[in-house]
Amino acid sequence: MLPKFSYVRPTSLDEALTHLSSDGAKPHAGGSDLLGCMRDGVFEARKVVSLSALQELKGIRQAGGGGLRIGALTTVAEVASNSLVRERYSALAQAAAEVASPQLRNQGTIGGNLCQKPRCWYYRGEFHCLRKGGDTCYALAGENQFHCVLGGSRCYIVHPSDTAPALVALQASIRIDRRGDSRVVPLEDFFVPPSTDVQRETVLEPNEIVTEILLPGPARGLRSSYRKVRDRGAWDFALAGVALALEFNGGRVAGGRVVLSGAAPVPWRSREVEQVIAGKALDAATCGAAARAAMADAQTLRRNGYKVPLFEAVIEEELTNIGV
Amino acid sequence: MTLDRERPYWLEGIDLPDTPSQDEDIEPWDETKVVGKPLPRVDAYERVSGSAVYSADVVLPRMLYAAILRCPYPHAEVKSVDTGAAEKLPGVRAVLSAFSPEDAATRPHSEFIRERLFNTHCRYEGETVAAVAAETPYDAWDAVRAIEVEYERLPFVSDEREALEPDAPLVHDAGNRVAEPSTYERGDVEAGFAQADVVLEQEYRSECEIHTPMEPHGAVAKWDGDQLTVWESTQGVFNVQSGVASALGMQFSKVRVIGHYMGGGFGSKLSSGKYTVIAALLAKKTARPVKCVLTREETFLAVGNRPPSNMRLKAGVKRDGTLTAMQFWGTGTGGAYRAGGTSLLDWLVRDLYTCPNAKTETTDIYINAGPARPFRAPGHPQCAWALEQMMDALAVEIGMDPIELRLKNIPAYSQAREGNPPYTTTGLKECLEEGARSFGWTEARERSSAASADGPMRRGVGVASCLWPYGMGSPPATAIVKLYSDGTVNLNTGAADIGTGTKTVLAMVVAEELGVDPGEVQIENADTGTTQFAGASGGSMTVPSEAPTVRAAAIDVKHQLLELAAEEMNVAVSTLYLKDGKVQSTADPEVEREPSSLRSLGRRRMLTGVGHRAPNPAGKVVNPFAAQFCEVEVNIRTGEVNVLRFLGAHDSGRVMSLLTYKNQVVGGITMGIGFGMTEARVLDGDQTGKMVNKNWHDYKLPTALDVPPEVECVPVDPGDREANNTGAKGIGEPATIPTAAAVANAVFHATGVRMTGTPINPSRLVEALAAQRGE
Repeated sequence: MLPKFSYVRPTSLDEALTHLSSDGAKPHAGGSDLLGCMRDGVFEARKVVSLSALQELKGIRQAGGGGLRIGALTTVAEVASNSLVRERYSALAQAAAEVASPQLRNQGTIGGNLCQKPRCWYYRGEFHCLRKGGDTCYALAGENQFHCVLGGSRCYIVHPSDTAPALVALQASIRIDRRGDSRVVPLEDFFVPPSTDVQRETVLEPNEIVTEILLPGPARGLRSSYRKVRDRGAWDFALAGVALALEFNGGRVAGGRVVLSGAAPVPWRSREVEQVIAGKALDAATCGAAARAAMADAQTLRRNGYKVPLFEAVIEEELTNIGV
Repeated sequence: MTLDRERPYWLEGIDLPDTPSQDEDIEPWDETKVVGKPLPRVDAYERVSGSAVYSADVVLPRMLYAAILRCPYPHAEVKSVDTGAAEKLPGVRAVLSAFSPEDAATRPHSEFIRERLFNTHCRYEGETVAAVAAETPYDAWDAVRAIEVEYERLPFVSDEREALEPDAPLVHDAGNRVAEPSTYERGDVEAGFAQADVVLEQEYRSECEIHTPMEPHGAVAKWDGDQLTVWESTQGVFNVQSGVASALGMQFSKVRVIGHYMGGGFGSKLSSGKYTVIAALLAKKTARPVKCVLTREETFLAVGNRPPSNMRLKAGVKRDGTLTAMQFWGTGTGGAYRAGGTSLLDWLVRDLYTCPNAKTETTDIYINAGPARPFRAPGHPQCAWALEQMMDALAVEIGMDPIELRLKNIPAYSQAREGNPPYTTTGLKECLEEGARSFGWTEARERSSAASADGPMRRGVGVASCLWPYGMGSPPATAIVKLYSDGTVNLNTGAADIGTGTKTVLAMVVAEELGVDPGEVQIENADTGTTQFAGASGGSMTVPSEAPTVRAAAIDVKHQLLELAAEEMNVAVSTLYLKDGKVQSTADPEVEREPSSLRSLGRRRMLTGVGHRAPNPAGKVVNPFAAQFCEVEVNIRTGEVNVLRFLGAHDSGRVMSLLTYKNQVVGGITMGIGFGMTEARVLDGDQTGKMVNKNWHDYKLPTALDVPPEVECVPVDPGDREANNTGAKGIGEPATIPTAAAVANAVFHATGVRMTGTPINPSRLVEALAAQRGE
C-alpha cells in the first residue's frame, strides 16, 4: 500500500518547478519507478508533482546541425519507434526497444529512464543499506550476482538504464531546469559514482528535473548499436550490455565511444576499449584484444564472476558485428 | 512409502467421506460427438469480460480489510507486541496478536502441524505476528506499521546443505532432521553395478521455486449468527471447510466455503491458510465481513514453494542399453515445518524404467524459511532433472540414441509398488515413438550435430520422459445432474475449476450423454453448502475423478427420463434410447420425442440423477506417461539459450477436451521452462536470511519471449477401458515434469556442457562454457 501523499498536476513547467521546490516533493513522469519506490518505502514522497500535463516536454524535434531534441516526457516506446532516431541513432533506438516490457515502454519516459533509482534488491528491499543512509552495503558480502564489476566503491549497484549508455555513447547532453534557472550538462557528467557520493545517483538537486535530451548531429561515418544480455527475454535489466557509437573512416575506427551497461554504478565508458580500437580495423585480433582490455581492471564479487567472460563475449561480438 | 495405501502428505489428516460406488458398470464410449472436441470454455465470457467474481473480487456491505504483520526475520522470538497505537488509528476496528485472547487458535494446515496462528517463536521470515481489520486497506496497513513488536533475533540456517552440520542453528529443538531418512530398496544394487558395462555417478541440484499464482491467496469471511461463510481462492472447498472447522472447533454444518472462480493455485491452495482463520476471527470480533487477501510479497514468503533438491544418482547400464542398477540419494527442505521437503523425490528413479536393482534414500531437513506446499507434481520435475539427464549421459557413454535407450527400458508393470501390479495402459513407448516422429527427432539430431562450427551459435535437441504416480482419479466423488422439464440441464459438483477448464470438460460429458449444448448446461460448483463432495482439484485427479462421476449422474437421469417416456408412450423401456437430446425407439424409427413434450416430465418438473465415482480397477495401476522434445539454439560465448520449439507427447488417456488438454501441455511446458531456466528463490543466507527477490520483477517467471512460439501437443490415447468409464487420465502435472530436463539435454547436445543445476540462464551457462574452454 502506498503511504499518504498529496498530489498536484500543474499545467506549466514554471508551476511544476515551483511545486518541486517544496520539501519532500517528487516529480511523477511515467510513474513506473516512482510508485514502486513509494510502495516499497525506498524513499518518502510527501507531495507528488505530476508532469503529465506538460505538453512542452513531450515529443521529438529536429535540432540544428542534424541533431535531435527529445522532450524528457517522451515515452520510451516513442523513442524506440521514432524514424529519425532509428535512422540516425541506432544505438538509442535499440536500447529503448530493450527496456523492460511493452507496457512499461508505453508508460515510462526517456527522462525517467535516465533518472531511475538503482535496482539493487537490498536497496529496494527492507535493508537499511549504505545508499539509504545505513552503514552497510549488503551486496558486498551477500547476494551480489547482479552487482558491479567496475567502479564499485563502498556501494556495488549497477546503473539500471539501457538508454543511458546509448546516449552517453552518442555524446548526448541534457537540459536540467529548476525554478528560474536552466542548465545543460553532458550526460556523461550527469551520473554520480558512489566514490563521489554514495547516496545519490545523479547531479540533480531535489528541486530540479530533466526537461530535454539533446543529441548532436551524427558525426561522419557514425555507426551505433546496443546489445544487451539478460536472464529472460523481457522485463529484465542487463546482466551485461554494450553501447557502441563509433566513427569509421576508411574501414578504421576514427573516434567514438564504447559504454557498458550492467557493469558499474554509472553508465561505464570503457576508455580501455576505445584506446585499443582507435585507428584500427575491427579484425578478430583487435576485437578480442579490446574485449579483454575492457575487463582488465574488473573486480569481481563472490557471485558475479561470470560477468567477466560475459562482457568479453558481448563486446567482442558487438565490435565484430559493427565492423562488418 | 507405499503410494496406494498411504495418502500423499498433503492429504494426511484430511477427512474424506466414503461415497457409494456406482452399482452399474458403465463402459467407456466407443465413439463421441462432443467429448474430445476443441470447444471453447463454457465460462470464457465471464473470465474474459471480468464479470467472473473471484474471491479477491468479493465485496460485501460493511466489509473490512485485513492486513497481516509478519516477522521480518528468519528466526526470532517475539517478546512483546504493543498494539495500542495501532488500535487508536482512524478506521481500525480490531487487532489480533499472540497476546490477544484468540491466540489459542491453531492453524489448520494439517493434523500434524498444530502450529499457533500467531507464533511467538517465529521460525521463518513471513510468519504471522499480528493482524488488523480496518475500514480500508490503507487504514489496515497504516495500523500494521504502527504495531510495535520487540523481537529477540535468533541464529538461523538458510541452506539445507548446511543445516545438518554439528554447529548449525536449530530450527526445532529436536534437530534439523525432519525424520529418519526414508529408504527404498529392491534387488541388489552392488551386484547390479558389477554387471554394468558403464556406471556413472553425478550430483544434481534444483532451486526452490515459488508458485506465484495470478490471484494471491486469500479469503473473505462473514458470520450470520453462528454460521460462517468463507469465500476463498482455493483448489478444494471441502478441505478449507474441514480446516476451518478444525481450527475454530466448529461443526461442518456451520461452515460454508465457496470457491467459484479462482486464479491459479498449482498446489499451494489445496488447504485453508492462516489467512482463512484470521479473516474468520477478525470478522467474529468486529461483527463485520472481513477480506484478507495477501500481497504479492507475502505469497513469496509464507504460502508455499517447491523445495530445493540436492540429488546424487548412480546408474549402471550394459552396452545393449539394459539398465542394471540405480542408486539415489536426495535431500531437500520443506522449510521451517514438516511440509514434504523430499516428497516423492525418488519416485521416478524407482519406477519410470525397468531396472531390477534400485536403492534410494531421501532426507528431509528443516531450515528457517517458509514452509513448502505441494507444487505441480511434487518431487517429480526435480527427480526428472536428475534421472533424465543421467539417461542422456548413459546413452552418450554407450553410443546409443537417447530415445532408443529409453525404449529398451519401458516398464510393463509398477516395480516400486507391492506385488508389482501392471499398468492398465502405458503409452510411454508410443509417446517416445510418435513424439519423435512428429518432432522430426532423427533429422533434427543429425542437423544439429552437422551444424557448422563457425560463429558462436550452436543447435541441439533433447528429450526427456516421465510418468506421474497419481493422475488416476479416485472415489470419493458424487455429482448430481438435473434435467428440467423444458429439456435443459443443471450440473452440481463440488469440484473447483482452478483455471484448467474442469467445468468445460464436465459440461461436455453431460452434453455427450444428454444431447444438450455444453454451453447451455447450468453449473453449480465448489460450494460446500450446496454442492456434492469432490476432492480438491490437485494431483491431476480432477477430470479422472469427476468426469466418470458426472457421466454416471447423466446416465442415471437419462434412464429416469426413458422410463417416464416408456410409461407415457406405453412401450417397453428397453426399446427407447436418447439421441441428440431426443427420445427415440429401436422399434419404430418414426418415434422421436423432445423431453419437454413429455407430460409426465412436466408434472415432475425436474428429474435428479445421482452419480458416484466407481473404484479404480483392483490390482492395477492407472498412471499418465509422457515424453517431451525440444530444440534449442545456444550462443556459446554469452550463454544465451533460445528455446526454438517444444513438443509434448502425452498419454493421459482419452482427450476429453482438446483445447483444455493443449492448454495444459503449453502451460506445463511454460512452467517447466521457468523451473529449468529462469526461476530461483534467493535467500540472503550469509547475512540476514531474508528473501531478496520476493517480487515479480526480481523473481523471474518466464515471459512470452522465453517460451517458444511453436509448442506442439501430440496426444497418445491407448484406449484405456479399465481406468474409469471415460478412459481419461490426468494431464496437468505430467505436462511439466520432463520439460526442464529436456532443455538441459538439448543444451548438452548443443554445447557438450552438462548443466546439473537449475536454472540454465546466461549467468550460469557462460561460466560453465568458459570453464569448458579452460578459461
